[in-house]
Amino acid sequence: MSHLVDAKSMLDTRGLYEGPTVHGVNPLLLIEKIIRERIFESLYWKEHCFGLNAATLLDRAVQLTYIGGQFANQRPTPFLCLAFKLLQLQPPKEIVLFYLSQTEFKYLRALGAFYARLTFHHVEVYKTLEPYLSDYRKLKVRGQAGWRIECMDEFIDDLLTKDRVCDIALPRIPSRAQLEDLEELEPREDVLGSEGEDTETEGEGDD
Amino acid sequence: KAADEDGEDEIDDTDDVDPTAERAAWKLRELKRIKRERDALEAVEKEREEIERRRNMDEKERLKEDLQYVAEQREKAKEERGKMG
Repeated sequence: MSHLVDAKSMLDTRGLYEGPTVHGVNPLLLIEKIIRERIFESLYWKEHCFGLNAATLLDRAVQLTYIGGQFANQRPTPFLCLAFKLLQLQPPKEIVLFYLSQTEFKYLRALGAFYARLTFHHVEVYKTLEPYLSDYRKLKVRGQAGWRIECMDEFIDDLLTKDRVCDIALPRIPSRAQLEDLEELEPREDVLGSEGEDTETEGEGDD
Repeated sequence: KAADEDGEDEIDDTDDVDPTAERAAWKLRELKRIKRERDALEAVEKEREEIERRRNMDEKERLKEDLQYVAEQREKAKEERGKMG
């Protein structure tokens, strides 16, 4: 496999893939073929993603200024290119958790969250991502329809509840309620706590 | 590269411009999520109850209820006939 330097080396396996797997398949196959092709074609991939490793990828990730799937003429965003690069690199879990836990770079956290959703076991997905539902920083999203603002908590919520995020079909996971029924997950802690009640009483006061 | 950034400057992702409003907006979203979850749970519960209720009826009662339901639907269709959707 190593005779191929470019991105396709991990894909050129003629059905004999022996590398690390995610959900039982070659991780690169988590991104559908058509988008893979578009990533390989994109300038960002060719110019900025060549020869990256888990550490140098950080330099790129902190420069991200928006997330999203495809834009304009179905061009993939740098966000998607880096997510794909991560799938290629297969960084250890601690590194992904570090991407998520740092507080300075929100787009790096978004990238980590997206990658975690793609590759982690479903119980882990909920356990790792749910704490970030209380992060309400704004993210720029670039899609086919143009630009918009989405908050981090909305992005995380989409990752946990939707089938497709950033134009990528996410691996299926059971819903939170199902996992609670199976006792694989504890009921979610109330992050609002007493605050939630406060708002209700405030609302009544306003009426 | 300039063309690449088309329109990016039109939106602003600066945080903490108005922390109270941002936090309030988040709280609203969080409450909505909690409500969504609760509603989904209730819907499941309701369906379970309905199934249980039907199971506890005997054949005649079930038939009677079905016929009544059909009659109601027919009545409704009659009323709506000739009206614009």
